[in-house]
Amino acid sequence: MASIDIESVRKSYGSFPVLHGVDLEIKDGEFIVLVGPSGCGKSTLLRMIAGLEEVTGGEIRISGNRVNDLAPKDRDIAMVFQSYALYPHMSVADNMSYSLRLRKTAKEKIASAVGSAAKKLGLDPLLERRPKALSGGQRQRVAMGRAIVRQPKAFLFDEPLSNLDARLREQMRAEIKKLHADLKATSIYVTHDQIEAMTLADRIVAMHGGIVQQVGTPLELYDTPANLFVAGFIGSPGMNFLEGRYVVGGGAGAAGEGAGIRLSDGTVVPVAPRAGLAPDAAATLGIRPEHVVIAENGMLEAGVDLVEPTGFGIILHLSLHGLPFKIFTLDRDALSAGPTVRVDFPQKHLHVFDEAGNRAD
Amino acid sequence: MHQPIKKHRPPLKKRLADASEPYLYSAPALILIVAVMLVPLVVGISYAFRDIQLLNPFSGGFVGLDHFRALGQDEAFYGALRNTLWWTGASVFLQFTFGLILALLLDKPFYGRGLVQALVFLPWAVPSFLAGLNWAWLFNPVIGPLPHWFTALGLMDEPHNILSDPHLAMWGPIAANVWWGIPFFAITLLAALQAIPRDLYEAASIDGAGPVQRFMSITLPFLAPTIAITVLLRTVWISNFADLIVVMTNGGPADRTQIVASYIFTQAFKRLDFGYASAIALVLLALLLVYSMLIVLLRQTMLNKG
Repeated sequence: MASIDIESVRKSYGSFPVLHGVDLEIKDGEFIVLVGPSGCGKSTLLRMIAGLEEVTGGEIRISGNRVNDLAPKDRDIAMVFQSYALYPHMSVADNMSYSLRLRKTAKEKIASAVGSAAKKLGLDPLLERRPKALSGGQRQRVAMGRAIVRQPKAFLFDEPLSNLDARLREQMRAEIKKLHADLKATSIYVTHDQIEAMTLADRIVAMHGGIVQQVGTPLELYDTPANLFVAGFIGSPGMNFLEGRYVVGGGAGAAGEGAGIRLSDGTVVPVAPRAGLAPDAAATLGIRPEHVVIAENGMLEAGVDLVEPTGFGIILHLSLHGLPFKIFTLDRDALSAGPTVRVDFPQKHLHVFDEAGNRAD
Repeated sequence: MHQPIKKHRPPLKKRLADASEPYLYSAPALILIVAVMLVPLVVGISYAFRDIQLLNPFSGGFVGLDHFRALGQDEAFYGALRNTLWWTGASVFLQFTFGLILALLLDKPFYGRGLVQALVFLPWAVPSFLAGLNWAWLFNPVIGPLPHWFTALGLMDEPHNILSDPHLAMWGPIAANVWWGIPFFAITLLAALQAIPRDLYEAASIDGAGPVQRFMSITLPFLAPTIAITVLLRTVWISNFADLIVVMTNGGPADRTQIVASYIFTQAFKRLDFGYASAIALVLLALLLVYSMLIVLLRQTMLNKG
């Protein structure tokens, strides 16, 4: 096991930059999830750590040793690929033992390593099969098995669950979490699925456009997103945004002495004073769908466009000042919502972002 | 009793039409296949058992296995058989080796790869007779540079034509054949190489495999079915391929480059003995069939294993 340090790492293809200086310290045994939309550079970063992509600038250290110029095989890491990349002409056992055989490990040692990994992953009855005779979930397990037999310094996962169906994905997610609790191996996990990120990570690294947007525990990202991107990316359904202007004191109208955000129709939504915002500065108000409250005497009226029952709860698609706006509620009464509803925004759940999109506190 | 049955039975014409329908639909294809493939094949095979000499108007009679008995005694045929093995084995081996190397080189991205790929495949487009003439001239010390270069390199005492050297003559057509046939292997192997998922190589390099190990444990197993089928095709093709030999050496000197295919050509079109030529061709056909069967079986077992 090992720590991994990433210091102002950059990557460009020709003159086209894809990563602009990434800094990240990963502690020994930590489970880090790189999350972001496709093209944000998360896979590139992972492949650079693996040694599959060259580092344009900066430094990557594993256990304190610079690995920029080391071949993948000399970095002592294991990787699980999205396609699993199992060797189709080898049996499951051979797939799992390939790395050990290359290292000329003793036969008994290989057998015991493969045996215990197979046991952990429930692959015992499949060891003699070839990958094409396995289901997607089983292949996924073999790919994991291939990674754990070696007891590497770190595990890298490149969207390992995205080829599985929803049910299986949920199940494997739990297994990966258990496995990590069991092995306590430093892990870096790339995904575009924020649920995977939230459930698996010790810390999430949210990336966008080749820049790290925020690093923190899942709940930090959920509760205090650093900017509009993180706020919109984490959480499902996504956070609602309303644009307006920051007003203080007398100018605040309904807000009286406090501060507020004046929306385009003149309504002022009271918020706690934000030191980082100048009066009358453009600001964006954010609130998660699950935090919006439907109230008969709510301060804003919104038209109901669509009602989506999910079973667990209900998603209301509203239009507020002509802009889409969502509510998530567990209250079944919402199913029979009229053409309009009145909504309230509890102040403690409001997020305010400045003109540049950064969180204002 | 008979009345209702008769009523249900459609008229004879309709029944005939119904019964013959599938045959009528497939008839055009079947007639074409029989006329174009089977008839010539049967006629050709029948020649092997008849005495057919173009210059003898009284020939044409059935001679049974006489041709095959004569063939059994024919030293020239055995020589041609040995030469065929040599010619085919060396040509296929060298074409395959260079083709594979070329395919591996072209599989790596580099600047101008598209152009190089196009150029590499050019020899394949050259007519074989032209290729033969070209190489014959290259080996000719009067007009070609090769003998002089060999001499300069110390491979030859003095510039002479290897095509007239009984011990070396076979290398002339083999060289021409290798040059001409490399693109076939390069094209097919390159296509097979590009079908190998890249992440397998990445997984292997993370697993600790060096370039040689990656080649042995990923590239080769993936290429094996393609290699088997291309080698089979080329072997049959080359052992039947007399163009270069006829153009460059005409089987000489002293039958040293006579292969079975060129021997058939000589018997049929120089001696005009079509009966005997057909008998030789039939033997060659049988040998190649056996060989093909073996390779197909080998490929099948390999595919089943994989």
